[in-house]
Amino acid sequence: MRPVPLTSPGGPTAPAGRRTLGAKVKFATRYFLRLLRTHPSYAAGYVIVTVVVLVAIAAPVIAPYSPITADPSVYLQSPSLAHPFGTDNTGMDVLSRVIYAPRIDLAIAVIGTAISAIIGTLLGAWVGYFQGTPGIRNIASGTTMRAADVLQAFPVFVFAIALVAVFGQSINSVIFAIAFVNIPIYLRLMRSQVLSIRRMRYVEAAFVSGMPDRFIIRDHIVPNAIGPVLAQLSVNIGWSILLTAGLSFVGAGVRAPTPEWGAMIATGFPNVMTGQWWPSVFPGLALAVTVYGFALIGTSIEFMADPRRRRTLAAAQVSA
Amino acid sequence: MTEAMRGEAQSLVTRANIRQGNPASAGRASAASEGPAVIDVRDLEVAYYVYGAEPTRALRNVSVRLRPGEILGLVGESGAGKTTLARAIMRVVPRPGRIERGEIFFMGTDLGAMSEAELSKLRGRDLAMIVANPRGELNPLLRIGPQIATIAEVHLGVSRKRGLEMALDMLRAVAIPDPERRLRAYPHELSGGMAQRIVIAMALICGPRFVISDDATSGLDVTVQAQVLDLLRKLVREQNTSMLYITRDIGVAANFCDRVDIIYKGEIVEDAPTEAFFSGPAHPYSNFLFAAFSHNAELRRRWMGSAPSPESDAAEALCLYADRCVKRQVRCLAEHPALRELAAGRLARCHFPVER
Amino acid sequence: MAVVRYIAGRLAFLVPQIIGIVLVSFLLIKAVPGDPATLMLGPMATPQTIAELRAQLGLDKPLPVQFLIYVDKLAHGNLGTSWQTTKPVLDDLRVRFPATLELVTYGMLLALAIGIPLGVASALGKRGPLAKLGGFYGLVAGALPDFWLALILIYIFYSLLGWVASPIGRIDVTVTTPHMITGFYTIDSLLTGNWAAFRSSVHHLILPVLTLGLVNAGPILKMTQATMERTLEADFSLYGRLCGLPEKLVIRRAFRNALPSVITIVSVLYGFLIGGAVLIEIVFSWGGAGQYAVQGVLNSDFNPVLGFVIFSALFSLVVYLIVDLIYLAIDPRIRR
Repeated sequence: MRPVPLTSPGGPTAPAGRRTLGAKVKFATRYFLRLLRTHPSYAAGYVIVTVVVLVAIAAPVIAPYSPITADPSVYLQSPSLAHPFGTDNTGMDVLSRVIYAPRIDLAIAVIGTAISAIIGTLLGAWVGYFQGTPGIRNIASGTTMRAADVLQAFPVFVFAIALVAVFGQSINSVIFAIAFVNIPIYLRLMRSQVLSIRRMRYVEAAFVSGMPDRFIIRDHIVPNAIGPVLAQLSVNIGWSILLTAGLSFVGAGVRAPTPEWGAMIATGFPNVMTGQWWPSVFPGLALAVTVYGFALIGTSIEFMADPRRRRTLAAAQVSA
Repeated sequence: MTEAMRGEAQSLVTRANIRQGNPASAGRASAASEGPAVIDVRDLEVAYYVYGAEPTRALRNVSVRLRPGEILGLVGESGAGKTTLARAIMRVVPRPGRIERGEIFFMGTDLGAMSEAELSKLRGRDLAMIVANPRGELNPLLRIGPQIATIAEVHLGVSRKRGLEMALDMLRAVAIPDPERRLRAYPHELSGGMAQRIVIAMALICGPRFVISDDATSGLDVTVQAQVLDLLRKLVREQNTSMLYITRDIGVAANFCDRVDIIYKGEIVEDAPTEAFFSGPAHPYSNFLFAAFSHNAELRRRWMGSAPSPESDAAEALCLYADRCVKRQVRCLAEHPALRELAAGRLARCHFPVER
Repeated sequence: MAVVRYIAGRLAFLVPQIIGIVLVSFLLIKAVPGDPATLMLGPMATPQTIAELRAQLGLDKPLPVQFLIYVDKLAHGNLGTSWQTTKPVLDDLRVRFPATLELVTYGMLLALAIGIPLGVASALGKRGPLAKLGGFYGLVAGALPDFWLALILIYIFYSLLGWVASPIGRIDVTVTTPHMITGFYTIDSLLTGNWAAFRSSVHHLILPVLTLGLVNAGPILKMTQATMERTLEADFSLYGRLCGLPEKLVIRRAFRNALPSVITIVSVLYGFLIGGAVLIEIVFSWGGAGQYAVQGVLNSDFNPVLGFVIFSALFSLVVYLIVDLIYLAIDPRIRR
């Protein structure tokens, strides 16, 4: 008795093989939009950062006054129609300065973080990939990690101030300081990622089957390790903005009258004690909202990079 | 039914009876069938909701009854819905799964109508579960003794001292060497087989009416597995506990269970007393499992169907096994078979059950 | 015995680290432009007096020799003098380090009191409003510049409401400072029965501690929530529920299993805050060790900076050691 032939009851089957790039992008976009719908706060993060960036770019158009011209006749005026955020103790318009500030703050934070991320991840990948392999590369890996230990044992803020002091007070020094104190973070993150991925069965299988290092790094290590690094990048930009502001606040960062949130808060500090809150409160608020936006984006990237959470998202969608 | 197969089946059952040391296993099963059901699952449907796809129906219309003292083997391949059934009976279906339909009665009460608080009084007390990967189930920071004792303290209201005494008794019962010392051990200090026994001790300390063993012995070495199984049977028989024994290993089911249910793609496809089942499975899938286990090349060739094709389970009307079935007929593609009674106590979900 | 060996291993690992830290900070501070001798003597000094002072300070010697001299002094417990305060750095730090420590310790305690309950609550109600609040708080607390939050609190509680003492220093100038025993004003004043000093110092602590607590509760909350979510879904928790253990007990055990991670983040934060509370110290003119070090950097006064770095490294060392001992106590798996 031979079985009757099986006719497929469903529709035509999808062609086997890899999904095309277009389909992948489409899927990713759809997934991303769904994520934003189910987690409105993540969407808020992207909106905040976009708005801040746009405002920074369009600052000369939007800002009602020059950010660095003082008008002593209107010093310390409370918020009004003419000066929605009031004026500071030299008579500069707080709103205009708040609008211009992200040009400095964002630039410093983004460039500083990017430098540290590039150097840190490359070093970390290298250390992680070759740690434990016999020879000089192992020793170099160990030395790098000990150096990172020493750097991280420093009180970050004092270290950053010292760096700025060494290289002279300028925007470049602040960028350099931020890049420097952040390198160990990426170094460690990438190293631990690579180490754990290297121990995965499929990577070991690739090793055993004689795949060259660069293929293994390209096909397995980079795609799997990059998610946490991207998430860290976003959070870290926010943190670097805070550090920049902090440096300026103690007078070791950007100098007045350059519009910068931290320096503005510092300038307004004495006024707060006597009740004129606006020169400090508005820049601080802008600063906090921006950092919050970057933190949200970081969380959303973390979410997307975690397949388990992706499944929860699907489940949440159904029960919603 | 071929001669070769009959021979295989006969030897399996004989082996079973010898190991059991109780030639009257068939008699036991029939005696058990007279009592009221301890667990009665009726038309249970569970689905998993995963984004981007139709919900996966993990259990379809599953009905299972266990009588006092009965050991029912639930056999099927990975993903057939065995664990889902176990968790559904305990009413802890993991996300994103949902119980869509159906009732579960324990001693005549509907578990679905109970509050979480009432349920947690039953769990561990009357409904117990033994799980695989026992080391993960034990809290790594707590000593073994208190972990076992807590269950007795919570459910039986005994003191910590009495709980520890009971735990010690249980460790002796599950034949753990040097039980006094093990009470003070931490989970990471135990071997896999030892940890499995600890979990059995935890499940049985309150003398439950019903125990589920979810693939609990499959991770053990064969020798240890045999020991643990013997022990489990002894304890279950002593306490007159009913047991749902979930396994992928049809051979273990033959040795261990009073009755066997075969599950395929969330559907019970055959239900039969062990002896009757192993003297001739009725469903083609059962025959396939049987042949696969027998290591008989000729048998396997005969029952091995084509590889399953993923697109075929979309249609509702056909037999779920049709795509792999070697005895497929036109009717199998057109009509979903019902679970039919073939003989007294023997059910199969097939339009063309294997006759003998 | 295993414990002793464990600690010895830790110490052996940390000695080279401290030497590395001292070396790096020494080089760094030497690279800061500005000559202490010139700064000390002021603009009226003659080149000759400057040269004399440089020789006296050992600044004319090559860098490696200067470093060795410094290490040698260090080994004898001499941290040098600060030209700003003209006092030995060790004496300065003896007063200032406890000031920072007092601030940071109370701040951490407040952060724990906020972060742990909120973190546990949000882990429990995974989709509930508390979890949302927890998630929101965690992100916002991480986004707030602490020095700005301090200003806001000063504005509200001092300028507007007048509920607290003026936000300058650790104690009112009119109140006699308590005799130094531990260096914690609150404790010393209690020990000596100096009630006026106790009230005043508590008043002065309120705002900075509130600031530190609110900001640092964020990471504690996040860590507690994340680990609790993990331990609540761990196999042993699921099995506990399967065995019918009451939810309270399951939660309590899950919390216990989450404790090591929480302790880790607390220790990291605690070590970080010794230097990281600098901005708060500056806002409140606290006169703590961080502020002392920052002023040192900005004024080429390098002995205070080195002294501070060494002190905070030692402090971190002590904290990590304590944490390791706690791990040993709560996690049997480490004891082998």
